[in-house]
Amino acid sequence: MNTVNEKVNKTAEKGVDNRKVFAYRVGIRFIRSIAVAFWVTVIAFTLIRLAPGDPAQARLGAAAEPEAVEALRKQLGLDVNPLEQFFNFFRGLIKGDMGISLQFDREVTDIIFTALPVTLWLIGFSVLISIFVAIPIALFVATSNNVLIAYIFRSTTAISIALPNFFIALLGILIFSIRYNWAPLLGYTPSFPENLKYLWLPALVNATTLVAILSRVLYSSISDTLKEEFVETGVIRGIKRPRFFWFYILKPSLAPTVVLLSYIMGVMLGTTIIMESIFALPGIGTELITAVISRDYPTVQGITFIFGIIVVFFSFFGDLMAYWLDRRVKF
Amino acid sequence: MSIKKFRRWLDEPGNSVIFTGFSMFVAIVLAGILVPLFYKYGPNDFVGMPFERPGGEFLFGTDQLGRDILSRTFHSVYRDLGVAFLGVSIPFVVGTFIGIILGLSKSKKIIAVISSVIDGINAFPLLILAVALIAFLGPGLGSVVIILALTNWARYARIARTKAVVVSQQNYIEAAYTLGYPRRRIIRKHVSPNVSSETIAYALSDFILVILLIAGLSFLGLAATPPTAEWGAMISEGRTYIINAPWITLFPGAALCWSAISLAFIVEGISRREGKV
Repeated sequence: MNTVNEKVNKTAEKGVDNRKVFAYRVGIRFIRSIAVAFWVTVIAFTLIRLAPGDPAQARLGAAAEPEAVEALRKQLGLDVNPLEQFFNFFRGLIKGDMGISLQFDREVTDIIFTALPVTLWLIGFSVLISIFVAIPIALFVATSNNVLIAYIFRSTTAISIALPNFFIALLGILIFSIRYNWAPLLGYTPSFPENLKYLWLPALVNATTLVAILSRVLYSSISDTLKEEFVETGVIRGIKRPRFFWFYILKPSLAPTVVLLSYIMGVMLGTTIIMESIFALPGIGTELITAVISRDYPTVQGITFIFGIIVVFFSFFGDLMAYWLDRRVKF
Repeated sequence: MSIKKFRRWLDEPGNSVIFTGFSMFVAIVLAGILVPLFYKYGPNDFVGMPFERPGGEFLFGTDQLGRDILSRTFHSVYRDLGVAFLGVSIPFVVGTFIGIILGLSKSKKIIAVISSVIDGINAFPLLILAVALIAFLGPGLGSVVIILALTNWARYARIARTKAVVVSQQNYIEAAYTLGYPRRRIIRKHVSPNVSSETIAYALSDFILVILLIAGLSFLGLAATPPTAEWGAMISEGRTYIINAPWITLFPGAALCWSAISLAFIVEGISRREGKV
């Protein structure tokens, strides 16, 4: 990493304009993403081979006929040597073919593309709620300069990060679905305005943790920004309030939050598994669990791969955003 | 330590929070030791009528099969916290070690390959990787420990590596080399104490995540499965009856929250002590 930064600094010294430095950095970051994506592929490929013994035998049970086991091995592509297996797997991925599900007669790609929108809606909605709640809270606490408020803020957020969200979800169901019937539990509809009726409660539960994490990071970076000299200059020059809040305080403080957010969106792919299973949402997490329980190897492999790739994409995009917000960020 | 000294210690910033968290944690661990030893009912004994309310003979009530919830809640402690402890300590040791080796290594090829493996593993959210691996290893608390050992080391390795690079450039390491100490001694006595202070801090917050992970997986029926007394599994069993018998879910849930919050307080107190606020 250091060498990269040195090179960038050298090019900057030579008087090359900012645009080229930016393109150079994005290029380096992109190559790193590709390398990680490669390892994601390798890990998703290795998963099925980690099973003790033969996966085909394990799925069919010890009493299965040898012909059936052999046929399944062939279907899973396990009948050739490992290197060729990886090559076939990789070639399949490029063509968008991840094999056929063992429990349903459907392509894995098809399963993923019908289920993924639900999950992305849920994550997007949770993140949106969290951002709109976390930014005002963090701004308020950081600018209030009050020790007691900061103390209460830190304690409550520490607690709400530690709370198990599936338990909160059950309490939420107890209150909002059963007592007041505000959040229907069954019959998800995928079209836009109606689906919010099903998504608001799981998104809110996700947000309890997310708001705490985001506002903590934002709070500490805003406090750091407030100590910078340009903020003082801004105050002295009498910059108008909204402009002051955005350009002088928020914009320079957002970079760490954005990087964290891109990482958290990946982590949330994990927690949404639990949310989807509690709220019976037909998302990708529910598909993963059904696939895991029925030992549907190609589907598990495909979904794991997609999750990994989405995370790589998020973190690439997050780093770009952070750089756009604050050119001092190194990546 | 005399009471006066202890009071003075408590007055330092953050220490009161650490103390609160630590006492909460000790309380639940003690309950987890004492209840299995001395309590009259076992976790899987059918001792009363189903759905008896809390209070009376059964302090926490009974579940849908007439098992004592108090006994089940505290029998879970060593399973939840014990498995979480294993699931944190193995990756902690392995990851710190690999991170130190990487941080001190001179070979660029090895660094490039291993750190991209680490990035690759870290690219997967822990829960996703755990769920996917359970498909191949089969459900059970043992699988969870194996999965954590296989995957979670990468996070420790990344932190340890970053810190080891910084430490290895310090003057005292150079001094140790100049004195002619063998590499192994330098790693053991000079580098690893400084690196592990960083990874221990992460391990504490990771402990919370792993406790929640184990309970979450059991809730999905992928780690501990009924009739095992385990918080996540108990919550999952009780959710069908949550309208009429909420206590079946509430007590294990409260115990889970209690342990996670106690650790969160310790982490919070430590970060206040270090003045990171």
